[in-house]
Amino acid sequence: MNDTQWPRYEVFKQDKPHKPHEAVGTVHAPDPEMALQNARDVYVRRPDCHSLWVAPEDAVFKMTAYELEQDPNWHVETIPEDAPEQTYLVFTRQHHRRSMVAASHVGEVQARTPREALRRAMEQAAWTSKPVYLWWIVPQAAITASQEEDAPSMFAPAQDKTYRDQSYYKGILFGKHLQKKHAKSSPTGKKAS
Amino acid sequence: MNATRPLPNVGMPDDPDYEEKLAQFEARIARGEKIEPGDWMPYEYRRQLIRMISQHAHSEVVGMLPEGAWITRAPTLRRKLILIAKVQDEAGHGQYLYHAAESLGVDREELIDLLLAGKAKYSSVFNYPTLTWADIGMIGWLVDGAAIKNQTMLAHCSYGPYSRAMVRICAEETFHYKQGKEMITLYAQGTPEQQRMAQDALNRWWWPALMMFGPHDTDSPNTPVLMRWGIKTKSNDTLRQEFIDEIVPEFLEIGLAIPDPELRWDEESGHWISGPIDWDEFWRVVRGNGPMNRARMAARRQAHEEGRWVREAMVAYANRRMAVGS
Repeated sequence: MNDTQWPRYEVFKQDKPHKPHEAVGTVHAPDPEMALQNARDVYVRRPDCHSLWVAPEDAVFKMTAYELEQDPNWHVETIPEDAPEQTYLVFTRQHHRRSMVAASHVGEVQARTPREALRRAMEQAAWTSKPVYLWWIVPQAAITASQEEDAPSMFAPAQDKTYRDQSYYKGILFGKHLQKKHAKSSPTGKKAS
Repeated sequence: MNATRPLPNVGMPDDPDYEEKLAQFEARIARGEKIEPGDWMPYEYRRQLIRMISQHAHSEVVGMLPEGAWITRAPTLRRKLILIAKVQDEAGHGQYLYHAAESLGVDREELIDLLLAGKAKYSSVFNYPTLTWADIGMIGWLVDGAAIKNQTMLAHCSYGPYSRAMVRICAEETFHYKQGKEMITLYAQGTPEQQRMAQDALNRWWWPALMMFGPHDTDSPNTPVLMRWGIKTKSNDTLRQEFIDEIVPEFLEIGLAIPDPELRWDEESGHWISGPIDWDEFWRVVRGNGPMNRARMAARRQAHEEGRWVREAMVAYANRRMAVGS
């Protein structure tokens, strides 16, 4: 398992400065730095990326609403008395619409374990005003982030590649009216050979 | 799917709570909820998804080859940039899909190993050769058009990670389709030689493209369970018919002829009715005896071997950094 497998990293992409980081998928890489490069190649071939985070997938604590419902004792754990508090990032999904994003960053909590972090996140009224179908808890210490000074080399090249966007090819579209127009023409007409 | 590692042994029909869990599972799908990796799912749902997603991933990866062969021969810089961008996208789409499959308990490496060993299926359309530059346009319009039809349906899939990969792929694929449509439309209005190239490309790709939707519903044993669990929402024949109805008038509009002497407009049903598909050819190609099956796999294996030093260098660098403790 050391040819192409490597550890998996979750990738979080922020499209614009005021938008949240969103979980867009995973990459494999031998280290976090390479994971960031792979994330750029796999998820930023197009404009609109301001910042990328990667975190080892096994550091991300994930719970679905279904899992929480099935296991009422999910929060039961023994926390060592001297366990230090740390910052956990909280991601949620609150809809079942068609989407390319698993979960979006909503904020941070201080806690000693991921389960405790989830319990504290669930107490935040602002994050639970609508049902949450997916919770992700990520220790801040597990995240490797793209640096401001790397943004021009990592993200700027995609901005000029307008030919990757369908709107670049406008003006050649056909409407539904063609359906009827050709109803009586011969489909194997003059040029069939 | 011949996974080398057993899948999680849950969701089996002889589990004591199977019926109860299955009822919950089907009710969730009926409510339009997405099933996520940690959730209970029938073993057969997991197996079918791995089979479909891995075939889909392999198709993206092998799909780079027929087009990649033309990058050095693109007629203009603009066309070359577009083609490189398109082939890069296919590489990325393969990754989205391998990773969606991994969320079900298989590893990308074992799936790639199966592909390289010649034991995995991928779309048979990529086992046909790209003989002229017009094939690049025709693949974009016709072949990617057929793929998008299927992928737009799969974006509604009940399994969250597959659905999300499909939404991302569909958003990106739209330009693949448009650039092909633009190229073929220009050729069809171009010199007699360009018109001849466009027609020749359509003649060769028409039938393989229709076969991409898979066997007729009556010969597709997986379809009922896939539709019952919301993996697919439309059958092979339904999708194929929608595709024919949309694309036939467009080809006719630009003056190309469909290479099907039996194709006719049926006033009563409001559909274009195509002649019979040569399923013997389909199965011949699926079973490894298409014009390019061996060449495709040889090219994949060569690329994998020639990239080995890069992978080794990445690992050496990571190990060294870890040792230095930076």
